[in-house]
Amino acid sequence: MDAFAKLPDAIAELVAEFSSTPVVGNLNVGLTQYSLWLLIAGVVLLAVIFAFVKKQSLAPKGFFVNGVEWVIEYVEDDIAKGVVGSNWRQHFPFLATLFFFILINNFIGLVPGMKPGTGAIGCTAAVALVSFIYFLYFGVKKHGLFGYLKSLAPAGVSFPMNIFVWVIEVFSLLLRLVTLAVRLFCNMFAGHIVMGSFAIMASIFAQPLLAHFSAMNAVGALPSVAWVLILLIIYAVELIVAFVQAYVFTVLSAVYIQIAEADAH
Amino acid sequence: MGVIGYGLGVIGAGLAIGLAAFGATSAMARQPEVQGRAFTVFILASAFTEALGLIGFVVTLIS
Repeated sequence: MDAFAKLPDAIAELVAEFSSTPVVGNLNVGLTQYSLWLLIAGVVLLAVIFAFVKKQSLAPKGFFVNGVEWVIEYVEDDIAKGVVGSNWRQHFPFLATLFFFILINNFIGLVPGMKPGTGAIGCTAAVALVSFIYFLYFGVKKHGLFGYLKSLAPAGVSFPMNIFVWVIEVFSLLLRLVTLAVRLFCNMFAGHIVMGSFAIMASIFAQPLLAHFSAMNAVGALPSVAWVLILLIIYAVELIVAFVQAYVFTVLSAVYIQIAEADAH
Repeated sequence: MGVIGYGLGVIGAGLAIGLAAFGATSAMARQPEVQGRAFTVFILASAFTEALGLIGFVVTLIS
């Protein structure tokens, strides 16, 4: 029972560790631990892409080239062609950039000791804002400013209801920005908190055994085995989540672009 | 109290993801050829609902 008494303090310490603290400089000018790993993720991504471009040949061979090509084709076929539709070629570079940026950040964060760049709300908000401005720009470009604003409300709704529907649609349009940012941030943040909690529980239960070896302490440390097993399962789930969140963010951006560019109907 | 509130809140998200999975699996069983499309829609729907559960999780930790 002693172990459970220590838990709230340890968890509070864990949560405090996840708030942005400056590594270089201060909070106004400088790098927090998240932006540091963000830069490292950017360097890793550039290295991967340049190595891929250099090694690429007519007949791809090897695990690395085929692997990267598979991911790119996945984005192309599943997201760009499948969701955006006929003018996918125009939007494919943007969507692929989003996908790879989020993917590499999520995976960097899963390496023990590293932090995901996407685990800070500022980063995800910036990426969401880029996506938001991108689809607004293409919507306005396609329909004109007035035409785009008009196309938000579905045609064929009679006059007084029209305005209500339009207001709701504008509201949901602005909400897209918030949900895009919060979804990615919450997934990364919550996933890491859960993994950290189980790691802390495993260490708290095993502590008496490590300090003093006795049969009583050995029995007390048995739950640690279960916590480590759960931790491993959650880690496997987080590997899937890292991919799925990159996929979801890109698919949603593609859906918004498709909606913005769709002809009035 | 916050934990109890989160437990109550996550019932909705759990039900919603379960319903989405139910719909996706029965759609795939009836028409195996829509598998790819149904999977995309399922992932999207669960991402929407999962976000609600996660907001609850983060709010619980912050409050």
